[in-house]
Parts: sequence; structure tokens; C-alpha cells
Amino acid sequence: MELPVLNDAPASKGGCAASSCGTTDNQMDSLPDSIREKVQNHPCYSEDAHHYFARMHVAVAPACNIQCHYCNRKYDCANESRPGVVSELLTPDQAVKKTMAVAANIPQMTVLGIAGPGDPLANPERTFETFRRLSEEAPDIKLCVSTNGLALPDSVEELSKHNIDHVTITINCVDPEIGAKIYPWIFWKNKRIKGVKAAKILIERQQLGLEMLIAKGILVKVNSVMIPGVNDQHLAEVSRVVKAKGAFLHNVMPLIAEAEHGTFYGVMGQRGPTPDELQDLQDSCSGDMNMMRHCRQCRADAVGMLGEDRGDEFTLDKIEDMEIDYQAAMEKRKVIHQAIQAEMDGKRLEKAEKAQLLKQEPKLTTRPVLMAVATSGQGVINMHFGHAKEFLIYEASPDGVRFISHRKADQYCGGDSTCGDGESTLQLTIRALTGCEAVLCSKVGYEPWEQLEAAGIAPNGEHAMEPIEEAVLAVYKEMAAAGKLDDAKDSVRASA
Amino acid sequence: MAVKIIESCVNCFACEPVCPSNAIYEAKPHFLVDSKKCTECEGDFPVFQCASICPIEGAILDSLGLAINPPGSLTGIPPEKMAEAMAELQSH
Ligand code: SF4
Ligand code: SF4
Ligand code: SF4
Repeated sequence: MELPVLNDAPASKGGCAASSCGTTDNQMDSLPDSIREKVQNHPCYSEDAHHYFARMHVAVAPACNIQCHYCNRKYDCANESRPGVVSELLTPDQAVKKTMAVAANIPQMTVLGIAGPGDPLANPERTFETFRRLSEEAPDIKLCVSTNGLALPDSVEELSKHNIDHVTITINCVDPEIGAKIYPWIFWKNKRIKGVKAAKILIERQQLGLEMLIAKGILVKVNSVMIPGVNDQHLAEVSRVVKAKGAFLHNVMPLIAEAEHGTFYGVMGQRGPTPDELQDLQDSCSGDMNMMRHCRQCRADAVGMLGEDRGDEFTLDKIEDMEIDYQAAMEKRKVIHQAIQAEMDGKRLEKAEKAQLLKQEPKLTTRPVLMAVATSGQGVINMHFGHAKEFLIYEASPDGVRFISHRKADQYCGGDSTCGDGESTLQLTIRALTGCEAVLCSKVGYEPWEQLEAAGIAPNGEHAMEPIEEAVLAVYKEMAAAGKLDDAKDSVRASA
Repeated sequence: MAVKIIESCVNCFACEPVCPSNAIYEAKPHFLVDSKKCTECEGDFPVFQCASICPIEGAILDSLGLAINPPGSLTGIPPEKMAEAMAELQSH
């Protein structure tokens, strides 16, 4: 028998596609058609689109007007980027050049974001000049911006004039008492303000900005950083509040805190959530909020498709010498986008049809299993285990296959007691896959093979170049047939 | 009387636009204060604007050469805790 594949975007509304009915994970179920349309092919929101399209960031906005306890201002804004990363600061002119060079060479690049290295709206001139010029010179690129929210109400009017696709606000709390444990100070009306008072102002501005954007019809996504013991219990409330106001997605990201980043949380030993804790929270929030599970906390200046970074091809001196005929590039991009769209539509249809067919078949009663997948895009298993910088985590269960999250290969080195000195990259990777029972990739080397098996994660290279969901399903059925799924395993929660 | 930006500055640009006297300018390897222009914000604001937005402890000194934002004052990390963490990292 076969199982339906869950959590892809239904091709159209109406009728209950087997893939979305009754599941809590479909991000788009509750969205109005106008938003659904915008979101469906967006690399940041649509789980399947992010295998085909890409976004990039330019670092034009160095200043910030607040301090977050998970950020060290020697590095990029930790709201959008990973801590400890320094992007090359660009002038608006350089940013426009770089964006157009990338768009001409990587036609899959459809979304340009300004996310740092500080707060984009604390640098209104640099940010808005970049947007203004791109709206004029490269109108086929969607623009997005992320902000801590403090300066947001003052920027809404200007934002509404550009090709802005969406705004991301990082909202970690709606309670100033909790906020005071996350934000040590803000710069507000010519003063540095600290404590609960500062958090109260920041929260008010975030909420006001959110309301103003919604009133203007601009899409708003909300990011939250999950900080165990600080706001983890509170984020369900945040979800409720921002959804009620009209945010269309809520994305919970794990705190990443390491002493060597020199952040408050890193130095004070605040830990980040485990993959399980993060998933639990995402599951508990998804009941009342569209959750974005595939956000990769991308590096702020990364360029390229899933799992790759072609930033080196577009350094300042290289783009300086590039002659870009954007009109011609735009024609080419259009053709390529149509082809990708047709391919995606075909695959969506195929999935929906399969799901329909399989609905009648008898249901398995086995427990759910998490599996990791190594891919560089196109929705197929096409990456070598040792090359994967991140893994996609899928859950297979009698209800089908659903995408759960991304895990960075080295992300979960928490610097805590479980992290011994000199852990090898392989060991780190295996630890990042905790909870998974299989890893699917195009190839696995001998050494990792043995260590994966020893860790209870079955390496599997048999499904190279196959569509991810089908392969995960096939492996799940093999496991079920082999009787491996009859026992209740502690490490796997029946979460679907 | 003027404030001074020293090498711990991370070139974040935050101070430059908030200075009422246009005394701050981008320079290599870090931002600088034109001591002839800096008014210490007298007549404009009761507090140094640059030092009120600067995120880096110790990056801006007052006319006596003292850090306007001493260690721990912005991050909330007690200096001894920071020293401990850094020593720990060094020993690895
Ligand atoms: S908003 Fe971004 S840049 Fe500013 S302190 Fe927070 S994480 Fe850092
Ligand atoms: S103290 Fe005031 S006048 Fe002097 S550099 Fe700083 S902001 Fe400008
Ligand atoms: S605000 Fe501080 S760190 Fe930023 S440029 Fe000015 S002096 Fe340097």
C-alpha cells in the first residue's frame, strides 16, 4: 500500500485535498486566496517552492537601535542570520549591482532581502535607497525586509511605496517582564532606555507596526527566537496575538548561544532548545498559527539554492567587472520561471492524485519515524552525506510524509556538558540527527556508515535522485514490513 | 572638550547620524570624532548621543579618557563572568 504525502500546497482551494485535511502542519490552509497566491511560489514560505527558488540577502544596514541578549554587535543581526557571522557591508549602489548580477546568473533567485547586519529600518536611507532602485531597475525581484520593530511605525509609509513582498518582524514576547530578560536596552527618543520600560516601548512599537502593515495590505511574517526558560512557555501566546492581528506566518527559531560568540546568553550559559523541544513548540503553536518549518536561519549574505552558497562568485571586485544587461536577463528569467512553475505544478498535481488514490487503501498502524534527507534542491535526494551542510527532517507515519524542519549539520554543538572537546564534524553531524532513525542521501562513506549505524540511524544511499517524499515513504514501508516499527520508541513522539 | 572613539569600535554607523554636531565620520580602521566639532551635545541633548546608541562597551571615551559605557553596562554580562568565559575559551 502507499501513503499520501502531506504538507504541500494544494493546487487550488475547494475540496479537501487528502494532503491537507485534518493535518496541523499545512501552512496555507487558513490563508485567503490572495495571500495563498503570493505565498505559493515563495522560497521562504512554500515548502516545495524552496527546493526550486532561492532568495538572497544584501548587507547594507549596519546600525541597530536595540540590543538583544543573543546578539553580539561585532557580528550580523542574529535575528536573521546565524550568530558569529560577519557579512561584507555594501553601499546601496553595490547592493543593487550585486543583486542584479546574481539575478542574471542564478535565475532561480526571486527574492531579495535586507536583513542586516544591523536593523534595516534603523538605517532608513541605505535600506530605502536600495529598495527604491531595485523596484525601478529590477521589477521582477520581490523585496523583503526584516526588523526588530522599533522603527517600524515610522517606515510603513515608505515601505508601501516599493515592491515589498513581505516584512518580517522579530517578536520574542508580548510581555515586558519577559522582554526585559531578552532586551537589555533600546535607543529611543535620544536616550538609552533599559529594563522593563525599554521592553514595553519595543513591544508597543512592534505591535503598532504590525497593525499598520496589515492595514496597508502588506504581508507580515513574525519570527520568534525560542529561549528555554525565558520565553518558551510564552510563545504560544505570541502566536495567538500576532495571528489575531493578521500576521500570516509565525516562524519559531532556536536560540543559538555559544560562549565564543560573546553574547549575553552565550557567556551566561543560557542553552538553546534541543531539536525535540523546538519541534514540540512548533507543533503546539501550529494548532493556532501557520508555522514555517523550513526556515533555515540562512546566513545573511548567502547566495544560491538550498544548501549551497555561491557568494564567492559575486564578491565586490567580481561584480565590479560584470556587465549586466538586465532587460535581456529579465526575459530569460521569465522563461525559466515559467518552466519551473510548470514543473512544480505538475509535481503538485501528481502528489495530489497519488494522495487521492491512496486514501482508500488500508492504513498502517505503525508508529511515526523521523528521517533526515540530504538534498541540494529540486525535491530529490541528490547530496552526499559528507557534503551536506544541513539536512531536511521528514516525519513518516501512517498519515503520510510531512516536512518537519531543517537541521544544520553543526548547529547543535551547544557548548554544554554533552559537548566534549574536539568533537569531530562527523560526531557533531550525527548528534544533529538525534531522533532520526534513517538518513537518506546519494552516497555515504564507509566511516560515517559505521558510526551512523552505531548511533541507531540507518544510512541509506539506495534512493539517489528519487523524489524525497516517495523515498521516505518507501523506506518507512520497508521498516514497517521488517517489523521495526511495532515497538514504541521513546525518542519518537507521535506528533502528527 | 570632546569625546573620542577608539579601536574597539565595530564600525556600525549607529553614532554617525545621531550626532547633532556632525562631528563623527567614517574612517579606517574605525569611526572617528572630529574634536573641533564635537560639542559633547551641549545645548542639544543632556546625554552624549553617540554614546547612547553605541552598542560596544568602551568604544567611546569622555574627555577624561574614561569609557562612557564601562564593561558590563550594556550587555549586562558581569566583567568577571566575561573574563572567566574568555579564559575558558583560551585554554581550549
Ligand atoms: S535587532 Fe538584530 S542587530 Fe539588533 S541587537 Fe537584535 S539581533 Fe542584534
Ligand atoms: S558627544 Fe555629541 S557632539 Fe560629540 S560626537 Fe558624540 S554625539 Fe557628536
Ligand atoms: S556606534 Fe560605536 S561601534 Fe558603532 S560606529 Fe559608532 S563608535 Fe563605532
